[in-house]
Amino acid sequence: MRRSLPTRVGVAGGVLGLLLTTAACGGDSGGGGGGQAAEEGTTREDGPVALRMSWWGSDTRHAATQQLIELYQSQNEGVTVEGDFTGFADYFDRLATSTAGGDGPCVQQQDTRYVREYADRNALLDLTPYIEDGTIDTSNLDEAVATTGQVEDATYAIPTGVNAFTLVVDPQAYAAAGVPVPDDSSWTWDEMVQTAAQVTQATGGQVYGMQAMGLNGGDTNFEVYAREHGEALFDEDGQIGFTEETLVDWWNIEKEASESGAEPEPSTTVEVFNGGVDQALVATGRGASGFWWTNELPALTAGAGRELQFMQFPTEEGNGETGMYLKPAMFWAISSDCESPKEAALLINWLINSEDAVEIVKADRGLPVNTELREQIAPTLDAPGQAAVAFVEEITPDLQDPPALPPQGAGEVQAIMQRYTEQILFDQISVEDAASQFMSEVQSAIA
Amino acid sequence: MSSTLDVSSRARSHDEAPRGAGQPVPRARRKKKDSGRYVAYLFLAPWFIGLLLITAGPIAASAYLAFTDYSLIGSPEWTGLDNFRRMFDDPRFYQSLKVTFIYVGVSVPLQLAFALFLAMILDRGLRGLALYRSIYYLPSLIGGSVAIAILWRQIFGAEGLLNGVLRFLGADNPPGWVSDPSYALGTLIILNVWTFGAPMVIFLAGLRQIPTMYYEAASLDGAGKVRQFLKVTLPLLSPIIFFNLVLQIIHAFQSFTQAFIVSGGTGGPADSTLFYTLYLYQRGFGNFDMGYASALAWVLLLIVGGLTAVNFIASKYWVFYGD
Repeated sequence: MRRSLPTRVGVAGGVLGLLLTTAACGGDSGGGGGGQAAEEGTTREDGPVALRMSWWGSDTRHAATQQLIELYQSQNEGVTVEGDFTGFADYFDRLATSTAGGDGPCVQQQDTRYVREYADRNALLDLTPYIEDGTIDTSNLDEAVATTGQVEDATYAIPTGVNAFTLVVDPQAYAAAGVPVPDDSSWTWDEMVQTAAQVTQATGGQVYGMQAMGLNGGDTNFEVYAREHGEALFDEDGQIGFTEETLVDWWNIEKEASESGAEPEPSTTVEVFNGGVDQALVATGRGASGFWWTNELPALTAGAGRELQFMQFPTEEGNGETGMYLKPAMFWAISSDCESPKEAALLINWLINSEDAVEIVKADRGLPVNTELREQIAPTLDAPGQAAVAFVEEITPDLQDPPALPPQGAGEVQAIMQRYTEQILFDQISVEDAASQFMSEVQSAIA
Repeated sequence: MSSTLDVSSRARSHDEAPRGAGQPVPRARRKKKDSGRYVAYLFLAPWFIGLLLITAGPIAASAYLAFTDYSLIGSPEWTGLDNFRRMFDDPRFYQSLKVTFIYVGVSVPLQLAFALFLAMILDRGLRGLALYRSIYYLPSLIGGSVAIAILWRQIFGAEGLLNGVLRFLGADNPPGWVSDPSYALGTLIILNVWTFGAPMVIFLAGLRQIPTMYYEAASLDGAGKVRQFLKVTLPLLSPIIFFNLVLQIIHAFQSFTQAFIVSGGTGGPADSTLFYTLYLYQRGFGNFDMGYASALAWVLLLIVGGLTAVNFIASKYWVFYGD
């Protein structure tokens, strides 16, 4: 094809224009350290304010959050809030894309794995000034997690609530299999696998003893295991905090569970995992146990149609000293692109500290981080919600402190863990090779 | 093509009327040609603007980003050839190449063979041809869609429709066709073969162009059906086969939706369906590595461009243009 001169000039001009746009998108958009006065941006006094708010979650959460938005708008004239929601799997792809376009949602639900990623890249606003001037009241926040949204000395994210990663069991499935539910104050990892294998055997494979550990929440599961052994997924400096041996041991438990029939066939395991909470073995009556977050109990119970219980993680020694910890379930953060940061801060304060808001959301974003409100709503929760409160209260004295915010790149660990677990389950790789390749891949992800 | 020519020739005759004779012929011709071109550009403008803004711009931007460390959030930093060097040490890059080449290498020939086979059956003057043609073309229209990918995930699941039928027929323990790494890619290949409608319709048009007298002459000379197919149909159809081949190879290299939906965006189980485009997407949008993803995109362009060039060179030896 022959191109005329005007065409060439046109192409070059268009290209140049777009390059400039891209470069403009990449420009730093503020953020900055603490200590300065709170930036107000446009507020409702300047005229109508529109805030965009994004979150991930289930249908229940979407409905509840829409209700929150309507209530907030009716109580705050001149402020409109536009909801922007999706499932977890796509949420961070979308958030990254909109942030890259200079259009990050003002108020955004965040996750421990990504707070540092966004904060370090100046995509989140430092909330310290708003906390200091009282716009965001943090005086009643659960101490265990109050400071988990800090990077260095600046607070970039406010936790919405707390939850713990633990084992959810179906007592009726155990009873039907004729296998007693183990005592979780003294059980060991071996005992967990053996009991689970017994359940599968006794039911002729109709009900599996447990769901795989390395897929759903695999990184957290391993983190609890590592902390039980005095290690961590990431240490305080954001470096790898565990040894290869520990990872090998943990994956060997998974392998044993798979080979002994405690878990389903690998391909069923993969499908169950892809189906999320709804397809969880304990939610469909096909399994006796699985590792889940405490705030997922209501959804699991709804699927199962019968009462489910929490159990503590097993330990190596059978001494009940697990590596479990209370985790900030998720966070609220403000995009540094936000034109009305003061209004965004007011909304966040309302979400965590107002009785109205907490009554709508209940324990869906974790047990409310405001401890006064948590006690207040506890009796109004449904049975699974109350069970979660009771369980967290019961285990809190034994819990370890939550880990520091993981380094940039931590968001990849989950997928890497999942991939190697699948390869191990399908016998494509030895546990030892998987562990050493996992270490180097995580190392390059956080580098 | 022909419509473009029509436009310019009509424009030419339009111009000719008021201009009258007497002017030096060569100059007039040049002028006429130019104004015809402007009309053509006018009609092309909407497409051209779209190309500049939606395609050419991002392509140029990615050419720049391929040489930078760009996290998507934050600004790109020039790193020269670093991204391209990293590929050599990236096992998932090789895995994605392997998966993609198997996918293209197996599914494209199968799909074309299947399309040709059905086109020949339909070419025999069946009643209700239009209906059959539409039915077989349907998968091509919807095959790349999200809905179909979700449907396939259900049909080929461990507890899905297919295994229900297999169990009914007495199979003991049929595998999870999309959740077992030994079968997942095969299932996606079948999904692609199933969308044979587009090449089939083109084959059908090609078959119609072959004059029946060749077949009559061949059968008079004693050639059987197979020989007729090999000596008459294939050579005369070779330009169409070539066209379909080039198109479908490029198309298959760009496959994304099926693998993304069926594997839940992971390329799993165990990276067995990690298409190149899927890996590129993961790096760019999931792992804050847009610079590397841009470099991957350019390598893909070089691979596809190279293969197409090879295809064109090789075509000299087997494509018969009838003159």
